Parts: sequence; C-alpha cells; structure tokens
Amino acid sequence: MQLETSSGGAAPTGSPALRDRLHKAAIALLLLPATARAESTPANQVDFTALYYGEQGRTQVYEPVVRVTRLFGDGQFLSAQLAVDVITGASPSGALPTGTVQTITSASGRLRTVPAGAIPTANFQDRRFALDGDWHRPWGKLFSTTIGVHASRERDYQSLGVNGKITADLLQHSITLTAGGGYSDDSVFPLGGTPIGLSDGTAVSDQKNPKRVSVLLFGVSRVLTRRWMMSLDATRTAERGYLTEPYKVISLMEPFSGVPIAQVTDKRPSTRTRNSALLSSVYHLANDIAYTSYRYYWDTWGIQSSTLDVRYRHRLASDDWYLEPHLRFYRQSAADFFTAGLSSALAPPDFATSDYRLGQLATMTLGTTFGFRLGASPALWTVRAEYIRQAGDSSPPGALGVQRTFDLSPPINTFTMVIGTSFKF
Amino acid sequence: MSGKVVSTGVLLLLSLAAPALRGAAADPPLAAPFDLPTSTGHVVLDSLRTKVVLVDFWASWCAPCRQSFPWMSTMAERYGPRGLVVVAINLDKQRWQAERFLRELAPPFLVAFDPAGKTATAFDVRAMPSSYLINRSGQLVFAHRGFDPKDTNAFESRIAEEVLK
Amino acid sequence: MKRVLRLSLALALPLLAGGCATVRPWDRDLLAEKEMSFNPCPMLHAIDEHVYFSKEASMGGQDASGGGCGCN
Repeated sequence: MQLETSSGGAAPTGSPALRDRLHKAAIALLLLPATARAESTPANQVDFTALYYGEQGRTQVYEPVVRVTRLFGDGQFLSAQLAVDVITGASPSGALPTGTVQTITSASGRLRTVPAGAIPTANFQDRRFALDGDWHRPWGKLFSTTIGVHASRERDYQSLGVNGKITADLLQHSITLTAGGGYSDDSVFPLGGTPIGLSDGTAVSDQKNPKRVSVLLFGVSRVLTRRWMMSLDATRTAERGYLTEPYKVISLMEPFSGVPIAQVTDKRPSTRTRNSALLSSVYHLANDIAYTSYRYYWDTWGIQSSTLDVRYRHRLASDDWYLEPHLRFYRQSAADFFTAGLSSALAPPDFATSDYRLGQLATMTLGTTFGFRLGASPALWTVRAEYIRQAGDSSPPGALGVQRTFDLSPPINTFTMVIGTSFKF
Repeated sequence: MSGKVVSTGVLLLLSLAAPALRGAAADPPLAAPFDLPTSTGHVVLDSLRTKVVLVDFWASWCAPCRQSFPWMSTMAERYGPRGLVVVAINLDKQRWQAERFLRELAPPFLVAFDPAGKTATAFDVRAMPSSYLINRSGQLVFAHRGFDPKDTNAFESRIAEEVLK
Repeated sequence: MKRVLRLSLALALPLLAGGCATVRPWDRDLLAEKEMSFNPCPMLHAIDEHVYFSKEASMGGQDASGGGCGCN
C-alpha cells in the first residue's frame, strides 16, 4: 500500500528546476494583493463577416459586418457592431405579364419595356447602415441579463430599437429559462412620396410614416442527456403603423381575358401580429454534432409557415476544423389578401398585394460551411456557400384568363457566400 | 438586587451549557471512504487519518478546474509540511485527456482517478469542481462548489485552522 | 387557439419528459464543448436570418431584436 504525500518526497513532476519555478510562483501569488489575483484580464474580440447574395437575374447584395467585443473576466461583455448592406438589381414589381411586350411605368416614374410572358420587375438600389450595441452581464451563478440597442438607416427607412432579455438557470443548470422583449420605432419615407393604397399611385403625400414593433419572447431549454439538449422558444411580435410596400403594384386585368390594363398600388393592413414557436435540438454523436430545428409561424395576415433546418457539424482531425453541411426546407401559405391581380370590373377589396413574398412559397436550401484555423494564428475562419431555390404557386388565386397559362412564380435560384473571421487580442 | 442575581445566574448557566450546545449542533459526519487508483498505486482515505485532507473533484474539460490547480499547488506546498494532503480526484471519462492536462500543469500533489464517478456520487458532488476539507478525525468539515479566486482566502483560513489543530 | 395549445404541448413534451432528472456534473464533458450551443456561430446565424427574412414572410424565432429593415 503505497502512499505519496504532497510535501516533497517523490514528486511526479520530476525536474527540480520545474519545482523551483512552481515554488517561486507560489511565493509570488502570496505577495500579490487578493484583489489583483481575483480579476481575470479583460480581452477583446473582433468578428468580421461578409455576405455575397446573388439571385439569378434579380437582386444582388453585399453585406460586410464588423463587430468588436470587450470581454471582461467574469463573463460580462460589451459589444458594438456595424453592418452595411449594398443592394442592387431588380425585384418583381407585383405586376402581371402579358402575352406581348409591355411598357411599364416604374415607381420612380421612368418607362421600361418588359419582354412577353416575363414577370415584370423593377430596378432599385439601396444602401443600409445598421449600428448595434449589446451589453451582457451574468448575475451570480444562475442569472444573466442582456440589453441591446439598434439603429439603422437606408434611403427610405429608419429604425431605432431597444431589446433586453433575462435568463435563469434551474435544476443544477439543467434547465434555462429566458424572457425577453424589444421595442422598435421605425419610420418609412418612400422615394417619390407615399402613394395612397389601391390607387393609381399618382397622388402622393410627403410624410414620414411611423411603424412601431413590439416583441415578446419566452424560451425554455433543457439538458436531456449527456449528449443532448433541446429548447423551445416562442415569440410574439406586434406591428402597428405603415406596413405596406410602397413600390409594389397590383395589376388590374380585363375580367375575362386577364390582360393587364392598369396598375394600382399595394395596400396592407396597419396592424400585424406574428407568432412563432421554435423547437431546437443539439445532439452530440461520437465526434460530430447534429443541430436540428423546426419552427412554426403564423400571423394575423393569414400566413402560416413551417421551417425545418438541419446542420451536421463533422469535426475534422485538427482542433477547430470542421465541415458542416446544411439543409433547410421552408413552406409558407399565402396572406389572406394576396392576389395575382385584380379584376377591373369588381370593386377593389380593402387590402391587396401581389408581392410574391406574401404568397404561397416553398424554399429549399442546400449548403455547406467550412471552418478552419491557419497554423498557429489566433484567427478562426469560416467559409459558407449555399444554394437556395425558391418557387411559388404558378397559378395563384386571382389569376384570370391568359394569366392562368403563365407560370406566375417561376423558380428563383440564389447563390450565397459568407466569409467570416474571428480573433481575440 | 434580585434582578441582578437572576440575570447573572442565567448567564452562568448559559456559559456552562454553551459547549454542550455547540457540540450537539456541530458534529460533522465522517467523509465517505474511498480507495482509488493513482498513476503509481492506490490512495485509501482511511490511511490518511491524523492528516488534514483536501479532496478536490476535477476534470480536464472544466475551465474553473484549470484555474484551481495553481491555488491547490500553493496550499500543498504551504501546508504540506504541517500535515495537509491534497488528493485531486479526476473524473474524466477518457484517461488520455486527464493525462494531457496533468502533463501541462504538472501539479505537486496526489491525483487519483474515478472515471465511473462512484466516489463523486458518495460525496454528493453537485458542481465542477467541488472541494471538500476533511479534518484529522476523518470528518467532513467544509465543502465548496466551483472555484472562484474571491473565495480562496476564506477557504485557506479554514485549512489553516484545521492544520493547526 | 386549441390548435395552438395542442401544438405547443406536442412540441414541449420532449422538454417535460424526464421530470427532475439531471445530468450529473461530471457527465457534462460533451456539454462543456463550445460547439454545444443552440447558436454556435451568432454572426453567421444573424446573416442567415436576415437573408430569409428578406425573401420570406416569416420572422425570427430566437431574438427580441426587431431587425429593423424595410424589406418584409
């Protein structure tokens, strides 16, 4: 029965020089005042990401984002982020195709020609700047708070918001409860003035249209086994104010032929309540990790959607190197007031939109992310490439006559690429 | 006059009773016995009777455990000659991860291995790391969950107190 | 409303199962890895959310920040 004591004797460390160093370090620790020993040195972190987004024949977006975080030793951090969105290209205007070449007046008043059968689009460009700040602080071992502020500005839109959340750990950190909220005071001031909804768009008013958004969220997450944790998050968002897309139009068709003869502007209700329930799972296999989530969404405009997202992080030989394929399936139903177009013979409804983003949609994403670290460099890199395919209802409600022969929502292919880097200093 | 007599009497009675009261309220339980392998043999808690033992449950993946090792080394060096034995019980499921950690930190105290967590269960470990102070009679007199540099002074006072007994 | 309640219960069931059983502190080796998080890459996730928010009608799920752009 052998017993090793901790005081001298056969030390497992071996070299006397090392023990001497340890001894000196111990004395040094003794001499330091207690408070200096207590604080871990703060560190700084920089995260940089850049997105390239390209819709085939449509919109292109470049978005660089830079974030600087000051990490205090006790888990507290303060961060600031700047994002710039540069958007160019064309987007469906909401107008319907004809069997012939069409001449369209775009929202800014210019005349454009559109080939026969093609979905008419409108050119646009914009630049958006967004500034975000966050402060996160743990309270004891069980609680934490996060407070955030947001400010963004583009040519025709401004947003100012605050948000906050609290987390609480229960059952020896097996369960985490989260409660949060946010409030945003936005302003919409369309280029060329605000058109009256469901009108020919000539009468505009030069005003700033307010839009106020409140968000409430609750979440529960649970460690289920040594390898598996799940969470359920519910959010409720209430929007009030100017919720219309001022540049979108709806075609007025001849009742039987379906040939578009005029356009009216888009008009949406001034309130919208949105709900979502998100169930997420993180499961650690032998070496890889599987992330799955399902979100169900519904709102007071009649839209319901389901999203299934799966990521599989396959860890490679070196630390911090990984390959993560990604699959996402999305389905949404059309808004109550979504219509392909309006019949010129009928009285206009209260609200109407032909914006394909509020119509029936199915989106599929296939992508992969590659993470790595170069040699002994402190920077972590990620490169992500994704292919997104989106298609809608080729013959949505409201399509009359010749419109029924057209594919009013042909599939759109999009390619995105993100490069990111992160390092502490 | 009689008031003073009564109050003095009560005080006397209380001071006589106090040791008995203190003794009855604070009789710490014996620490759970263990017999665990080390890198060169075995460590048995019972054989450490008459020593003050600091038992610490740790694992290589636990960040505060890494922070606690230099402090435990200091305790071992400072109080070892006066009868303190530090036993750091490792709970890693994969031994090679613990050994990599030990190669890097090279602690001057005893390390034992409990991969199945049987001793951790016996000590009712609720957080990582967890430290337990056992007096010379084998009784568990102090327990601490987690590691926080702010708490080390109080912990060290407790160790010094037991070592000087 | 009933549909919402039934759906919520179905989704919450995996979380409620297991009662008060916890994973022991020394069994949390895998959970301690930094990738064991519901949002391991927050910057990339935010960009993703922005892309889909602009292309689709649905909104968020995990954040209380409104997003604040005139794109949906």
